[in-house]
Amino acid sequence: MSDLTTSEKLIIEPTFTTPEIRFDPEAYYFFIGGNSYPENSLKFYGPVLEWVQNWSQKVVPSSKLLTIEIRLEYFNTSTAKVLLDLLRLFEALHERGQAMQIRWLYLQEDTEMEDAGLDYQAAVKVPFELVAIDE
Amino acid sequence: MTKIFVPLLRGYPMTVSYEHRLLFRHEGVLDMEVLSHFVHNIDKALQKEAVRVPLRRRIVSSLIELAQNIIRYSANDEKYPPLLALSRSDQGFILEARNLVHYSQELFLQTYLQNLTQMPRKDLEALHYNTLTEGSFSDSGGAGLGLVQVLFKSDLFEYELIPADGEYSWFSVKATFFHLNI
Repeated sequence: MSDLTTSEKLIIEPTFTTPEIRFDPEAYYFFIGGNSYPENSLKFYGPVLEWVQNWSQKVVPSSKLLTIEIRLEYFNTSTAKVLLDLLRLFEALHERGQAMQIRWLYLQEDTEMEDAGLDYQAAVKVPFELVAIDE
Repeated sequence: MTKIFVPLLRGYPMTVSYEHRLLFRHEGVLDMEVLSHFVHNIDKALQKEAVRVPLRRRIVSSLIELAQNIIRYSANDEKYPPLLALSRSDQGFILEARNLVHYSQELFLQTYLQNLTQMPRKDLEALHYNTLTEGSFSDSGGAGLGLVQVLFKSDLFEYELIPADGEYSWFSVKATFFHLNI
């Protein structure tokens, strides 16, 4: 077992249809952002889920706050579903004692994205903040 | 009829009708690369039309779902090319998709959509949430939520299944997003 900081980063560069993923255990900061409408979301997110599963099994939960930020533009329904699977992996780690916050970023006027955030907020038991941003 | 005035160089106004203006039309094979360009360009076009973010999200997200249903499940070749179109009318924005489906899918679609379109919004929301939280993925990676999402996001949802030949039917969806929501 080790603390969060000893794990390798997970970095996936964005494309038109898949998001940027930067999971940096050393910085206690995980980020998902951009568009996410791959044809097969399981194929794209499978390795991400696997990385989180392996990583979370290895770490010793601590009181140092892990921040997970999500800022999506367009995402398809299969991403919506797999994203919940991902958040549930984080939720399991939180239940083991890891301090954690999820920040759902959306444009101030984007009520659609705000509603999506509210759905996730209701679905997982992790401190979950909806953050309206100007740009 | 909604009208806007476009000032000309000499200062005389010109009346332009929104009665039915085509913003985008594609009839041909669809793949993810083509779709990603459409998403980018249609989003930009809607920004130019001064469509606010929530409505833009609803229109473009619906287009993504309809297009990905075509890519995943339908006949998608040059002989029977699918169609995607977006137009602006007095009523609002109209998103249309048409593709060929095998008769084995026709009965499923007919029953599925009959059920969906008769559901009160509250039940539709519950179905959406339950499928999101408890449902499983199809072999092609779909979450089984595409049409629910389009129905959910649009203000008016119409569909049609018309026999093409013995084995296939044309499946058409027309989703309208009212102006009021711009």
